[in-house]
Amino acid sequence: MDESSLLLSVSDFIAVTNQTLEYAYPTVSVEGEVASFKVNQGKYVFFDIKDQGGSIGCFMTVWQLRVPIEDGMKVIVTATPKLTQWGKFSLTVRAVRPSGEGNLKKSFELLRAKLEKEGLFALERKRRLPEIPHHVAVVSSTDAAGYKDFIKIVNDRWGGLKIDVAHVQVQGVGAPDQILRAIKYFNEQEPEVIVIIRGGGSADDLSAFNDELLVREIAASRIPTLVGVGHEVDVSLADLAADVRAATPSNAAQLLVPDKNEIIRNVRHRVTLLLPRTIQALERGQQNLRDTLETALAAIRRRYDWYDDHIRYNRRVLSELDPRKVLARGYALIRGDLTVGKAIEIEKSDILIKAEVTHVDRKA
Amino acid sequence: MSTEKRSIAEKTAQLDELVSWFDSDAFELEQALDKFKEAEKLAAEIEKDLLALKNEVNVIKKKFDEA
Repeated sequence: MDESSLLLSVSDFIAVTNQTLEYAYPTVSVEGEVASFKVNQGKYVFFDIKDQGGSIGCFMTVWQLRVPIEDGMKVIVTATPKLTQWGKFSLTVRAVRPSGEGNLKKSFELLRAKLEKEGLFALERKRRLPEIPHHVAVVSSTDAAGYKDFIKIVNDRWGGLKIDVAHVQVQGVGAPDQILRAIKYFNEQEPEVIVIIRGGGSADDLSAFNDELLVREIAASRIPTLVGVGHEVDVSLADLAADVRAATPSNAAQLLVPDKNEIIRNVRHRVTLLLPRTIQALERGQQNLRDTLETALAAIRRRYDWYDDHIRYNRRVLSELDPRKVLARGYALIRGDLTVGKAIEIEKSDILIKAEVTHVDRKA
Repeated sequence: MSTEKRSIAEKTAQLDELVSWFDSDAFELEQALDKFKEAEKLAAEIEKDLLALKNEVNVIKKKFDEA
């Protein structure tokens, strides 16, 4: 035996090797293609990652597997290298994420189909946000442009809100857990809505919002959720699980509160319309009065005309009956007692005659 | 309740009521000017209240990077 070599038990050798590995590579990220993926007892996940030059076994628990993966998918694992007690070298994986847009999309579609089947995105689960909230919780990175846009637009649109902000990482391996913890934290408080926002980024940047546990946490939130992640074209599973989905953080602000400037314009406009309405009513009143007076005047005219016609007719009749007209036609008017021997007066149109009755005979 | 203590929502509701009055059968020309003045005053108050409200943004101290 070489005197300079170290004599160790197998267990010690494994322990020393692991210590050395831990010191040299506390965490490694390894990119490769998934092969021989399997889940044992519903708890333990085993797979290999490989490239053209080699293959390494990987081990993790099901709860650490936050995105669906399958054989042939290119992934990046974040892991600790370890020599097992059986002498097998493997990577103990803490996190795995698909690598490249194609694989991210594939993983996204797999998880989307799974959660959709469970009804997590069902429309009947969606709740309405309060019309005007008073207490709002925001989960975002306070350094992000999306957060700043959101706050600016909320301040421009409405006031009097109490806004509690949980500053979290919104991209990278730690982001889903931080966002998830913030949602849990706010669910123990009493905000009326939880707003989760993040500005635009690459598919990889936004992949935190496709994390299975985070999506489940959003769907399970006791407090209604509003999620605005990325640009208008981006769709994350967090969006789909939220009660209300905003296209962008700015849109989230618009959906959250009404625009006070619009309300002010509307209030002014409504009041402005009242004066013409009053003037219109006044004019209508005046017109009614004029109409009534005209109706009354017409009635008076009709009655006047009737009397006028009546009087004219009576005048005509009276005029025809005037005895002077009869006398003018040659007749005479006799006054007095028509008894023989009595004096009578005979009136003609132009003379008066005094006479005595000498004879009275009845006509046959 | 004094005018000053009423909320924006209450004032808006009162304004709605006043505006409806102008379209209702209860409308009377004799009261219209007073009601109009009242609506104008309410609108000015609502505008003032809305512009005066400020948001209170509080970044909470709790760290979320560890469970």
